[in-house]
Amino acid sequence: MKPVLEIQGLTKQFGGLVAVDNVDLNIQKGEIRALIGPNGSGKTTVLNLVSGVYEPTKGSILFKGQSVFNKRPHLLVREGMKRTFQSARLFRELSVLQNVMVGLHGQTKGGLFGIVFSLPGAKGEERMICDKAAEVLEFVGLLGQANTLAKNLPYGQQRLLEIARGLISQPDLLLLDEPAAGMNPSETFELVTLLGKIRDRGITIFLIEHDMNLVMEISDFITVLNFGRKIAEGSPGEVQNNEEVIEAYLGKRARYA
Amino acid sequence: MFDFTTLAQFLVAGLAMGSVYAFVALSFALLYNAVGILNFCVGEFVMVPGFIVAILLNSLHMPFLQAYLITIGVMLVFGAIFHRTIYHPLRGRPFLSVLVSTIGASLFLKNTALLAFGADPRVTPGIVAQKSVGLFGVFVAPQYLVILATLLVLVVFQYVVFEKTLLGKKMQAAAQDRDMARLLGIPVDKIILITFIYSAVLGGIAGILLAPVFYVTSDMGFRIALKAFASSIVGGLGSIPGAIVGGLFIGVVELFCAAYISATYKDVFAFIILIAVLLLRPQGFFGEKVAEKA
Amino acid sequence: MSLKKLSVKISFYLAMAIVLASLPSLIRSNYWIGTVNLAIIYSIAVLGLNIILGLTGQLNIAQAAFWGIGAYTAALLNTRLGWPFWATFLVAPPTAAAFGVILGFPTLKLSGRYLALATLGFGIIISLIAHNWKEFTGGVDGIPGITSPVLGPLKFSTNASFYYLALVCLILLALAQIKIKNSRMGRAFQAIKDNELAAELSGVNTFKYRVIAFALCSAYGGMAGQLFAHGTKYVSAETFFVDMSILFICMLMIGGAGSIAGSIIGASLLTFIPEWLRFLQGPWAMAIFGLAIIIIMIFMPGGLVGLASFIGSKIAMHLRRSIQAGTGRTTSRDVGVSKGTE
Repeated sequence: MKPVLEIQGLTKQFGGLVAVDNVDLNIQKGEIRALIGPNGSGKTTVLNLVSGVYEPTKGSILFKGQSVFNKRPHLLVREGMKRTFQSARLFRELSVLQNVMVGLHGQTKGGLFGIVFSLPGAKGEERMICDKAAEVLEFVGLLGQANTLAKNLPYGQQRLLEIARGLISQPDLLLLDEPAAGMNPSETFELVTLLGKIRDRGITIFLIEHDMNLVMEISDFITVLNFGRKIAEGSPGEVQNNEEVIEAYLGKRARYA
Repeated sequence: MFDFTTLAQFLVAGLAMGSVYAFVALSFALLYNAVGILNFCVGEFVMVPGFIVAILLNSLHMPFLQAYLITIGVMLVFGAIFHRTIYHPLRGRPFLSVLVSTIGASLFLKNTALLAFGADPRVTPGIVAQKSVGLFGVFVAPQYLVILATLLVLVVFQYVVFEKTLLGKKMQAAAQDRDMARLLGIPVDKIILITFIYSAVLGGIAGILLAPVFYVTSDMGFRIALKAFASSIVGGLGSIPGAIVGGLFIGVVELFCAAYISATYKDVFAFIILIAVLLLRPQGFFGEKVAEKA
Repeated sequence: MSLKKLSVKISFYLAMAIVLASLPSLIRSNYWIGTVNLAIIYSIAVLGLNIILGLTGQLNIAQAAFWGIGAYTAALLNTRLGWPFWATFLVAPPTAAAFGVILGFPTLKLSGRYLALATLGFGIIISLIAHNWKEFTGGVDGIPGITSPVLGPLKFSTNASFYYLALVCLILLALAQIKIKNSRMGRAFQAIKDNELAAELSGVNTFKYRVIAFALCSAYGGMAGQLFAHGTKYVSAETFFVDMSILFICMLMIGGAGSIAGSIIGASLLTFIPEWLRFLQGPWAMAIFGLAIIIIMIFMPGGLVGLASFIGSKIAMHLRRSIQAGTGRTTSRDVGVSKGTE
């Protein structure tokens, strides 16, 4: 089975700073992969490279066997990749429902003519988008807030809304940038359940996270970065006991503690 | 037409106009740097002192130095009022709000000036006699030399203040990273107020320099503002030296184009340069990166 | 929607329709009908501006240029080539839209502030060309003698008759925009306004939609210009002034950016106020508008429409509270899922 995501020799340089240094990474379909590492280790940069926001300095990224190089991000979305942001980039003046509906934009057509003249095709598509959005909202537990403006949501629910917006297009790969950031333990617990349900829908998940409980609980495999380089990769148990990983997080002394 | 004398005269005239543009561009760039706003009212920062100095000199027959000092003083207050009424209530809002608000301020000021001062253009006498001065065999208007000298003084003054004094360092810090500066105990709000005042004073200087060689009218602000925008963009929107270099550049290029290509379209050249730069190299000579990061 | 609400809505629209239809007979003066016509035409231009500024959040300081392009296309085709109204009607808006694309396309990589300056530069260049290319545009003297609209047996040569023509155009264009706003396209515009990067990463081709927004904005502007040309039967280069673009922005911000009703209200108000209050002509009106803009930006960023809806929701809240207090029950609210706004 071809991996959903194949990263080879990925390098990204910003001027003199090497943010990502020769990283290799393959993710299989249906996997939940976590990317961890201390602050500044290049995790978000990797996500930006995969989703087409940055262009790599060197190396290749293949999504479903096709290179993502030089493709504008919305095209990658159309091909089945979705991502969330660390800082919950929502459409604040749109309602929760409308936010999720935008998530289906890449999979729909709805041209100007059909909209202005209320042609049946456009109306039918609009109804379909609305229904799908309602369904996704129910899936993540936000249906009661459907008409609330996104800016009025509490923080934890904003993160959920972002995930919902990512889910609606049934992506092949879902990139999550610190989904648990700012969540309390009970919200994190619900997130673990939700991620499991997402995986059960056949969606491959690639997430960046700092919350180690979440990571250990839900991941199939973990890749560890430090200073832009991959220093370890394996199952949660293997990574937990890896000396280099411990050293990266806690410093050299901890290794010998 | 292309002999040394003519070229040199054009160059001096261009640099002189360019210096005025540099002052205005500096006023504009400082505010952009400090609080990220596009001050559409920057032309009125020049028009208002222009009228004030004209009235003081022409109608009240004040001595030059007194008139200039009062004008600068008025601009000091003007800058503070502008900060308090236009910027301060809108800090933290998206930049579009402040921009539109400065458009409103510009409308208000320019029409109020028309109502208060009338439509007759004003000119003031220059601080030095306006007889052409011979410089290396070239005859130039003395006011041009005054303008150039003032710019030189300002550049030195600003360099000293920004780089060598504590206040200057605080201003730079506040401009680069407001939150960090606050954490370091820098009184950022006060610094921003000072920046507005300084910006207004720069406009005042530009107005004073301009009044002897340019007609002061209530609607002059717009054309001046456009030159300021063009100068800042050419020099690089985030850059202080860029504003000065950009201003001089626009002044010289504009003059030469007017002289050798077409005088009627004189103002067009600055805008053509503006558009060209925006399309080809939006960061100008020294400016910040224009693309957005994730 | 409940039957009661539906009947209230229908009676409201019916009343509006009756008032609008009989307006020329209610207002006897030809001059005032002409002013109404002007307000209608300005509303169309401001509606266009609403698409790019209110919905998509991009500052366009060149709307007067598109208005002028529409007006001049109509004027030239009409006076030089004898084209009738319906022909210029079909050609002028797309011509303006083409220029909108010319502006929107190369500026795609520019973000907010730089884009604003680029539109300003564009508007000025068009304005200067219009003023100075005298053989083509007639400069400040302009082009007189444009013919009145004739559609089959209907002649629209008086202000009163032109009113109906312009009104129908406005209503259709406003309805079109309402549909756009509540559609997938409208959501895409709003997404770009709120967070362009997130929009791109949700699958919205932000470049394409920014260009579409510019094209729609300039098409509306061009249509307004074309109507203006056939209505006043005379165009001059003065219509291109950047002052006009700024006036349009004022109209939109005061009425309420993002709102279709706001665009129309803002345009109408700023057309009528200088007329009603005679002493408020010229500089007085503009100075007050400038002040109004500042006050609105600070205290009511949603413009008059925003203010009205704020007051409306406060009243609704008080009413609900007093009902609750009176009956001791919470009022039932529709938890129906609603897609649209406005």
